Amino acid sequence: MLRLLWQELLFRRNAIIGWSLGLCFFPLVYIAIYPSVADEMAGLADLEIYQAMGMSLGTFPDWVGSILIIFMPLIAAIYGIINGTGTLAGEEEDGRLEMVVTLPLPRWQIITAKAIAFIIASLIMFLVVSTVSLLVFQSIESQIETELTGANLFTAVMSAWPLDFAVGMLSLFLAAFCASRRFAAMIAAAVLVISYFGNNLAASTTALEPFEPLFLFTYLDASGTAVMEGQEAGDIGVLVGIGLVSFALAVFFFQRRNLTVGAWPWQRAHVS
Amino acid sequence: MSEHVIETRGLTVYYGRHRGILNVDLNVEKGEVFGFLGPNGAGKTTTQRVLLDVIRPTSGQARIFGLDCREQGVELRQRVGYLPGELALYKNMKANQFFKMYEYLRGQNGAKGYWQELAKRLDLDTSRRIGNFSRGNKQKVGVVAAFMNRPDLLILDEPTGGLDPLVQQTVLEMVREAKADGRTIFFSSHILSEVQAVCDRVGIIRDGQLVTTQRVEEMVTQRVNRINMIFADLPPADVFNIEGVTELNRSDRSVMLEVQENLPQVLAAAAENNIQDIETINVSLEEIFLTYYGKGNGGNHA
Repeated sequence: MLRLLWQELLFRRNAIIGWSLGLCFFPLVYIAIYPSVADEMAGLADLEIYQAMGMSLGTFPDWVGSILIIFMPLIAAIYGIINGTGTLAGEEEDGRLEMVVTLPLPRWQIITAKAIAFIIASLIMFLVVSTVSLLVFQSIESQIETELTGANLFTAVMSAWPLDFAVGMLSLFLAAFCASRRFAAMIAAAVLVISYFGNNLAASTTALEPFEPLFLFTYLDASGTAVMEGQEAGDIGVLVGIGLVSFALAVFFFQRRNLTVGAWPWQRAHVS
Repeated sequence: MSEHVIETRGLTVYYGRHRGILNVDLNVEKGEVFGFLGPNGAGKTTTQRVLLDVIRPTSGQARIFGLDCREQGVELRQRVGYLPGELALYKNMKANQFFKMYEYLRGQNGAKGYWQELAKRLDLDTSRRIGNFSRGNKQKVGVVAAFMNRPDLLILDEPTGGLDPLVQQTVLEMVREAKADGRTIFFSSHILSEVQAVCDRVGIIRDGQLVTTQRVEEMVTQRVNRINMIFADLPPADVFNIEGVTELNRSDRSVMLEVQENLPQVLAAAAENNIQDIETINVSLEEIFLTYYGKGNGGNHA
């Protein structure tokens, strides 16, 4: 399986570089500009529109949480959807998967290699963004007043990764289950968007409170406190659990599926 | 189930309510080139995909080298080379990168680097990106990938599609050489001349059912020739009333015939009637299927 994993990583090397550079936009811009907007942001702390979007901008940790910890994983989750659905359903649709599954490799190894390759790729992206965040923070640290340390910031960015893991594995499962990439990507994107807005609105709308546990972003605390003290272990556990269950389902359905024919898992034996 | 290289029993595949193949019983012997023939949509590709465990059968059993295609798929695929009919490759890779990857994933077991020899033989520039290749060159990549581990069984779905005539001949030579090495080839094609050139036996599938298997020599004797002849003056209507000959069309100065036997008599009659030009038309395999298996043969029209 290591051979397959290596190939999967090689296929992703351009994506890893491109997405890492793209995601570094957040710390390079939003952390770097903080000294020049700090006073202004402090004045916007209580605006309801920001609160409705889950944003609190009063302090530097609040700013980091509201901008970096929320939006960076949200954008990174798009990579999770693209990778998760493209690597399986996409390859199946364009016919490349047939060349792989006819090699002497068990199917569980094929999908496991793809999952691990995604995990490694996304971890590299988060490591790059965390490192760049740390470097940018060190360059402005003398210009701002904050109790946040570089280690806090590095950990805060890395601890947003489980959300990306959950979305990536959910997308992989949908790709293994669905007969088309488009359909899988559509569902995964809907889950992501609904999770983001649902979680934010649930904070200010009591009608949505019962549904809050269903939103993935419920388990990503973007408050200044979380940036300082880290994510709760329970929240990380839920996101990792969603990812692992999704992966297990992906393996289950990929093992059963008729490939290359656009068939759903239940489209098997109906001899009339 | 036994010493056959490929053996299927009652193999049936349905996609929901759509028929794939129905009760296919097939035996392919060790060391033979078996032509698997049939019109588009007959079930050739479905059968091949079941053999390689890409598709799971609704019912029935398929074995290769005595191994169950589903339960022991990994083990048997180590001994199989496959060229799909709808070849899809990694466009961003160079051909040599693709072969190295394939070699790497497959574990070549003594055939390491053989792809270079094959690529040279097919005149394939492996330093170029696959995405920049013509259809023929992509097909060469597929052919090399199928042969590169010297497999005991080759499953080739229309291997000469998109290739120029010279390369087609090279591929057919490679098939013959594989057979000479004692390897087995399961060969799907629409081109009768190819089948005639390399296959020992053929199986004909139509509407998902295996209509017959027979030796190629038997099939060739049933071959139909279609001839279009142009005369100085249109000959009398009864000139070609010859056994095994059917006049299909007559217009202006030309006569089109379908000739199943007595070709010398046809040519003699044409010469006596001042023939000026003659053209032979290759009848597609599908037409031969329809001619031979059509009316009065159980209603199995494609």
